Amino acid sequence: MPSKKLTVDIQGTSLTLSNLEKVFYPHAGFTKGQVIDYYIRIAPALLPDLSNRPLTMKRYPDGATAKFFYQKQCPEHRPDWLQTAPVWSEHNDDHIDFCLANNLPSLVWAANLAALELHTSLSAANDVLCPTMLVFDLDPGPPASILECCQVALLLKAIFDQQHLQSFPKTSGSKGLQVYVPLNTPVTYDITKDCARAIAQLLEQQHPELVVSKMTKKLRTGKVFVDWSQNDDHKTTVCAYSLRAREQPTVSTPVSWPEVEQAFKNKNAQLLVFEAPQVITRFEQLGDLFAPVLTLKQELPPLK
Amino acid sequence: MARPMWNGSISFGLVNVPIKMFNSVRKKTLHFNQLRASDGCRIRLKKVCSSDGAEVENENIIRGYEVSPERYVTITEEELQVLNPKTTRSIDIEDFVSLEEIDPLYFEQSYYLVPDKGAAKAYSLLFAAMKKTNKIAIARIVMRSKQYLAAIRPAGRALSLSTMYFADEIISQDDLEALPEDIAPSERELAMAEQLISSLSAPFEPEKYKDEYREKMLDLIEKKAEGQAVTLQPAAPEGGKVIDLMAALEASLKAMKKEGAPETEKPARARRKKAGAQ
Repeated sequence: MPSKKLTVDIQGTSLTLSNLEKVFYPHAGFTKGQVIDYYIRIAPALLPDLSNRPLTMKRYPDGATAKFFYQKQCPEHRPDWLQTAPVWSEHNDDHIDFCLANNLPSLVWAANLAALELHTSLSAANDVLCPTMLVFDLDPGPPASILECCQVALLLKAIFDQQHLQSFPKTSGSKGLQVYVPLNTPVTYDITKDCARAIAQLLEQQHPELVVSKMTKKLRTGKVFVDWSQNDDHKTTVCAYSLRAREQPTVSTPVSWPEVEQAFKNKNAQLLVFEAPQVITRFEQLGDLFAPVLTLKQELPPLK
Repeated sequence: MARPMWNGSISFGLVNVPIKMFNSVRKKTLHFNQLRASDGCRIRLKKVCSSDGAEVENENIIRGYEVSPERYVTITEEELQVLNPKTTRSIDIEDFVSLEEIDPLYFEQSYYLVPDKGAAKAYSLLFAAMKKTNKIAIARIVMRSKQYLAAIRPAGRALSLSTMYFADEIISQDDLEALPEDIAPSERELAMAEQLISSLSAPFEPEKYKDEYREKMLDLIEKKAEGQAVTLQPAAPEGGKVIDLMAALEASLKAMKKEGAPETEKPARARRKKAGAQ
């Protein structure tokens, strides 16, 4: 019989894991043990994306279909070896000590707290006003699906290609896609946000039947909302390789542009749905498609 | 010890006996879950609108009383609050009666009453007095915002409380149609029946009687659980497998070493990068 608690030694750090046999994705029979197993196995790809970024944990203590809460303030009962970073919150008029998942024990600790979804800031904890990347969150309004997102993503890619900037797509792990432009050079959120908004509005002008740039849900029907507003120091975006709390244990998965084209051409949304075990296999075979997002130095052209 | 399900005090005259109330019965009825026949998936009930079939969330459900077919008067939470009996923490004794006067039909659910802190003496006094007078107390108690009639009596070493039905809840025997009237049995038949009864007479030993159905069913369940005939919850292709976290750790650490990126270097690198940028 599996025991209720398991103490593991990770690189000399002892961690007690609990409720490993508890089913976290009832439709898939996917247990908490499998969640932790996934996060351990994907750690080599995931940790660089988490490292040194204020972490917002979306916790699902009773599994993906039950109640959740966002945890920004790192819990008081955290282990003493866990690193944190104070970030000023205007909303709270106080510092929030965010957890930093800088190493494998920290990641496993978070997974054991049922932090199914890991959301990170676009900037590092030691320079919270300097985003290291630009992001477009493409959110389809039904009946539009991820396929329409593919179309918009390819339009975005064409814009950046023209500017000789590389861009990287990932699935949201939910309904949409995200397109990232690595920067890793000094910049501010004012600049990235203005740029993202201008591009979203341009797309909306050119493709009014396909794109909206305004948040209003009503406008979204059958179109793709190009969310530029996440380029903000208050906002977080689901981290690459994070699980999502859906019926199946789907993952926000970095994909290649040919995969996006393929799915769009074949009208096959399933080609862009990846569950935890598949993501492990992809990482073993393809490596970390998202690695350049953290290292590639690029500069945004000045706005015309 | 289990948590008390109610606490308060028995009050009669000027005397107050603080007590805690515990269940006196643990039902052992077997419960089955509903599963889908094809794969054993658990069945969940949804509350839906009977006309359009749409699911209705709890917060959108209100109470309605059917005054005539398909016509409802709705009662709000506030109206309920106003009419609900005031939560009192006292069991008010109204009369003392003889147990034999109460037909067992009236008894609903039974609980044990245990003295709260410092009440042992008053409790024992009430217990002894009721035993000596051979009287039981009829009282009122409010539990879960419902008022109950209750009988308190000594049972073994404790006082017990049984909630009771109100008289108008007991169905009148006048409503029973097939009751015979005035059929006097013959002396001989009566004597024979009496003899049969006395030959079967015995002290009441409740332990003698067992729930044979439950025993047989538990037996069957145990046998099936040991064998292969157990219906397991369906698992996804990956589900149900034994997770070897140690193997996962080993693989992960190896992969990190191979990439030459020990995890502790990451933050340092990020810091250097920032320093360079300034």
